[in-house]
Amino acid sequence: MATRIICVGNRHVHGDDFGPRVYDCLAGQPLPASVDIVDGGLGGLGLLRYLEDGRHVVFVDAVAGFTAPGEIVLLDAAEVAGQCNGTFGHEAGLPYLLRVMPAVLDSPPPAITVIGHEGEATTQAVQAAAQLALRLASEVATEIADDVCCV
Amino acid sequence: MTSRIIRNIPFNRVEGDLEVSIEYADGRVSDAWSAGTLYRGFENLMKGRGALDGLVMTPRICGICSTTHLAAAARALDAIAGLTPPDNAVRVRNVALMVEHMQSDVRHSVLMYMTDFAHAAHARHPLYDEALRRYAPAAGSSAIDTIRETKRLLEVIAMLGGQWPHSSFMVPGGIAFAPSQADVLQCLQLVRGYRAWYERRVLGCPLERWREVDSRAALDAWLDESAAHRDSETGFLLRFGREAGLDVIGGGPNAFLSYGSLDLPQETAVVAPGGQLVAAGFARGTAVAAFDATHIAEDVSHAWYRDHGTLHPAAGETDPYASAQAGRAYSWVKAPRYDGQAVETGPLAEAVIDGRPLFIDLVAAGRTSALARQLARLTRPATMLPAVEVWLQELLATQGAPVVAGDGHVPDGEGAGLVQAARGALGHWVRIENGRIARYQVITPTAWNGSPRDSTGQRGAWEEAIVGTPIADPDNPIEAGHVIRSFDPCLVCAVHTVRRRT
Repeated sequence: MATRIICVGNRHVHGDDFGPRVYDCLAGQPLPASVDIVDGGLGGLGLLRYLEDGRHVVFVDAVAGFTAPGEIVLLDAAEVAGQCNGTFGHEAGLPYLLRVMPAVLDSPPPAITVIGHEGEATTQAVQAAAQLALRLASEVATEIADDVCCV
Repeated sequence: MTSRIIRNIPFNRVEGDLEVSIEYADGRVSDAWSAGTLYRGFENLMKGRGALDGLVMTPRICGICSTTHLAAAARALDAIAGLTPPDNAVRVRNVALMVEHMQSDVRHSVLMYMTDFAHAAHARHPLYDEALRRYAPAAGSSAIDTIRETKRLLEVIAMLGGQWPHSSFMVPGGIAFAPSQADVLQCLQLVRGYRAWYERRVLGCPLERWREVDSRAALDAWLDESAAHRDSETGFLLRFGREAGLDVIGGGPNAFLSYGSLDLPQETAVVAPGGQLVAAGFARGTAVAAFDATHIAEDVSHAWYRDHGTLHPAAGETDPYASAQAGRAYSWVKAPRYDGQAVETGPLAEAVIDGRPLFIDLVAAGRTSALARQLARLTRPATMLPAVEVWLQELLATQGAPVVAGDGHVPDGEGAGLVQAARGALGHWVRIENGRIARYQVITPTAWNGSPRDSTGQRGAWEEAIVGTPIADPDNPIEAGHVIRSFDPCLVCAVHTVRRRT
């Protein structure tokens, strides 16, 4: 099963550049054929188009208030969507996207994981998140393959 | 007895980067100050970089107007290189820009503007229950439908630009590649699908019928004509907005600016005076004069920048100085002025300068209102959809024609890229020296609309627009919010960190 890693954020704004830096890290290395990476930038609702083709999705984004500075945290879609009060604005990012996704997509991704990082986007943290994203992607592929074998 | 209090309006959907303070007296706003609280500094970020870097970096200024920033950057380089893009490059650029505008116009109207109709402050409004059904945040039927349909439309930019978001497919002299026949056909299908939805849901009538609405009286007649009209998003905006008094608040400076946009290809079936689908001009009231870019100047007397004098953006400086003009400065937004005048820009300004009779009638005699401004935005796609279809058909008929002029080299020199973004006039002023960017100045539509005062004390456009607005509850001045949101303020969309709610 294919997985898409979508890296979100603004590479030109300090503190919001974690996702784009992970994208750059992933783009510079060979990837499994089943993994697709997207520089999601400030796409917001525009990223819905990447959630419609049945792939599992791993988002990578900067977060605030979920863990200690310098730490990486795994969040599920519901927890991120829960950060949105439902109102839309120019700042609407992942929380709004994930909040409305079930209502606006006919076939949402079978699974969504968000890799969040708090604080300064150090090289070490970027590399760790990139490897974690790849590991999550391969675990998904393995789980699906096992399920298929069991059938 | 007059009581004066100051209130900071909570702009919950602008996340703290826009702070508007109002002075309130005798039930009305008596004065206002609009502060942009985030220093962006893209101008300084650009200095010293390669000549083409604006094509990659400036689309990241904004998550909504990304394509428009790309267009402004490309047009500045066109000007420096002395290149005229071939017709098919012009068509592709135009279609991408119009698609970005058309999705933004409806998203803003439904998701950001009319969602306030579902606010508890309107609980006594006779249409409140219907507003809740339509616009309840992330759940209303109109909100969900709008997200579904605009999502499909944006596929057009992904196909024409080869990447989404933040494509850099516009290059000096044209575009980077010609879309395939299959891609153009699919774009045409998507645009026709959007048009069918827009006519059914947003207008409640064919585009042709809407274009017959040419006066306030004709608008009333259109509204009375059928249930489809009344039940459409446009019909509901009018019915709810009038009852809420949005047609008598939010006047603004009564001066309008459009740089003009969407150049016509040399050979095209699209007809428009002046060689652009969106006309350039400056209007005092409804009296329109020719646009002259030399009349633009930036004043920083009330902004946190070192004051080098009032300068044309080609000579402008962005020199942050937080302790500047201590006690007087209150914003990171500069104050652009046209011929010394504060102006508003955006869909209403385009309609006035284009001479569209309905909007001329709605703003005549200083009657500009928040409702007229929002109506112009919600119905602007009706002016664009026919041209989008024509240009896509012309692309199909001229497959294989060139899409770029020149060899990609940008010589040293100066140039400006002026376009109309979804929110109004956008300009990039660029100077290249020794193959590198020596100066890059950007004036966004929100700088025009949301500027602070200038050295003469003249308020910015939406500061002026909210003065006089009646406020029912000073602790929740939603009326002032309606006025400012009618300009579609854009200040924060560059930062999307996931924040835990407290």
